[in-house]
Amino acid sequence: MTSIWTLQLHTVSFPVKYFKFVIFSSFYLIFICTVFVSSYVNTQFVIVVFNVCSKHRVSSNVLEIRTEPGFNCGYLNWAGRKTCRKFVLRASSDSVNSDDDKRIQDEVLAVESERDNVVDSKNSVRRLQETISSLPPVIFLTKRHSGANYAIGVCIAATLLVIAVRVYLTRKSRLSRPGSVADLVRRGQLRSDRRGISRPLKYDDPFNNPLVKVGKSNSTVEMCGKVYRLAPVTLTKEQQAIHQKRRSRAYQWKRPTLFLREGDSIPPDVDPDTVRWIPANHPFATTASDIDEDLAQNNVYQKHGVPFRIRAEHEALQRKLEALQSEQKFKKLVIDPGAGKDFERPFKSQLKSDEQIEQSSSNSEVGSNPLKSDRGCSSLRSNSTSEEMQKP
Amino acid sequence: MITLHPLTNRKPSFLYSVTSGPLNKKILKPPKPYHKTKPYPTITIQSVLQYNRKPELAGETPRVVVITSGKGGVGKTTTTANVGLSLARLGFSVVAIDADVGLRNLDLLLGLENRVNYTVVEVLNGDCRLDQALVRDKRWSNFELLCISKPRSKLPIGFGGKALVWLVDALKDRQEGCPDFILIDCPAGIDAGFITAITPANEAVLVTTPDITSLRDADRVTGLLECDGIRDIKMIVNRVRTDMIKGEDMMSVLDVQEMLGLALLGVIPEDSEVIRSTNRGFPLVLNKPPTLAGLAFEQAAWRLVEQDSMKAVVLEEEPKKRGFFSFFGRIECWTRKFQYISYLGSVC
Repeated sequence: MTSIWTLQLHTVSFPVKYFKFVIFSSFYLIFICTVFVSSYVNTQFVIVVFNVCSKHRVSSNVLEIRTEPGFNCGYLNWAGRKTCRKFVLRASSDSVNSDDDKRIQDEVLAVESERDNVVDSKNSVRRLQETISSLPPVIFLTKRHSGANYAIGVCIAATLLVIAVRVYLTRKSRLSRPGSVADLVRRGQLRSDRRGISRPLKYDDPFNNPLVKVGKSNSTVEMCGKVYRLAPVTLTKEQQAIHQKRRSRAYQWKRPTLFLREGDSIPPDVDPDTVRWIPANHPFATTASDIDEDLAQNNVYQKHGVPFRIRAEHEALQRKLEALQSEQKFKKLVIDPGAGKDFERPFKSQLKSDEQIEQSSSNSEVGSNPLKSDRGCSSLRSNSTSEEMQKP
Repeated sequence: MITLHPLTNRKPSFLYSVTSGPLNKKILKPPKPYHKTKPYPTITIQSVLQYNRKPELAGETPRVVVITSGKGGVGKTTTTANVGLSLARLGFSVVAIDADVGLRNLDLLLGLENRVNYTVVEVLNGDCRLDQALVRDKRWSNFELLCISKPRSKLPIGFGGKALVWLVDALKDRQEGCPDFILIDCPAGIDAGFITAITPANEAVLVTTPDITSLRDADRVTGLLECDGIRDIKMIVNRVRTDMIKGEDMMSVLDVQEMLGLALLGVIPEDSEVIRSTNRGFPLVLNKPPTLAGLAFEQAAWRLVEQDSMKAVVLEEEPKKRGFFSFFGRIECWTRKFQYISYLGSVC
């Protein structure tokens, strides 16, 4: 009832396929550190390695434990290895492993029961075991020279230290001075060449931009942090001329000079190609223009003074007013000159009376305001009534 | 029926456009070609980047440039606003005319919608003078906006084109001096508004996107412009997505150029900042820090000043280089490979 478990440290047994990089690297480093420790303590090594294998579902079902790994001696002779102790290991914590153990034990029992019947199969199994054990495990191959262990360990530790320091410094520099000049230059808010007296800025050059850089090989350009490949333009004059000829053949076009409404007839001695018909309900264009062409041209060329239409309207209004005034005067003179006098200055006389009232009220008491407003209203009403009376 | 066919006789040759001023001449080594059938020759990049100099104005002032496309929604008004303000930033006096009679939007993009009281229609009617209709931008005082009409008014198209010619003449004789650039934002389509807008123009900027509908309209509009006597036509390819070009879901800029046969003034990448800046009424080129599309508009404005064209175009984004921490990623890869090899060994 003895089963031989051979620890195969093939990396295949590690199911890192679905592991992320960080998990893998950290586990790898932990393992290497364990190797360092175990070079001094041999017995611990086997247990740790076994834990590692059990965590990662070691596919091999046979573990071979060697009492003399020989790490501390600086050499390891795998050719002359011997198995001193053979025993069955059971992982009590892991149910899967215990099941495996049972299964393995059952298999071993079955093999032993059939040992007598099938001798050749046993030989083949042994041969297989021998071939498997003769293959040197990967990790032991790497650890053959114990002197290199220290160097690798130091390298890894130094790398980790450098990474940590670098990340720390970059974070510190970002967080410590977020609004500094260097930070502004880095973010493109400020140009580094503006500062100092070495080269004063003569001209706000859009091309002198820190975000645009041509690559060293001139075949790339970096814009806004992205690198783009460049390709030369290959259009030639001949090709351009060919295209022009093609277009001149394809598009026979004359500039339209005459715009007519739909239904209008073409006037004589006009090229019909230069005529366009504009629908009467065109939303943005109209053929009808109430402005004279020469007048419009003069309006565009006018540089000073009141615009033409404003002046014309003003003059027209003024003329109308004058005409109205003269007509009114004439009418007033004819109809009722006395009423005209009353119409011209009713408000002023009323104001005067108001002022008088105000002065008296300020001297006497406060309750005169409603009186004033009433009187104002009444005066307005009287005005309006007088107007109404006068108009007809 | 007119169809567009790319020219197949591509020959390695040098570029043609005239450049002026002390440009940074840089030799471009041909990158690994994206399309294997298209070998790129070694040529000189002259205007990828130019440092510490003011662009030199080429041509006679005022340069009357119409920005057109044929198809709607490709970015004419956005281009007008951004190129106009870029030119103003470069120190040139600019008058932008929104010739879109019915659907004007340039004032919105510039954030000047509350300051438009008079338009060209009022000027023609004599309700105001021309200088009263010009809206000066407070951010860059050498930039002015002029709208053709209010949304509800109709423009008498009998002399619409003539009116724009008068306007250009009147702007030439201003007391403040002749503006360096007069940009005309053309409406979509090729009807009366288009004809009005292109009348006073000496040169044209054709805005297109890398899709076939836009390209067909652009080709037709180019034909009309050439028939009208405007020979200096350059194109801006807008809303370019390098990731889609890489996946061959979108035509590349060079493909577009092959189909239209026009010199490239600029290539504007697709940028979500465009919508944001439109809604804010704050053009992209004034953003700090600048965006990709804003940088591209600035470069296009630079080339417009110097009557230059692009010598190299951005193909695609390069994959990022691996950093320090990717070392551990590689270790993991190596470990997996080793695991696999050892597994094979154990199985065998």
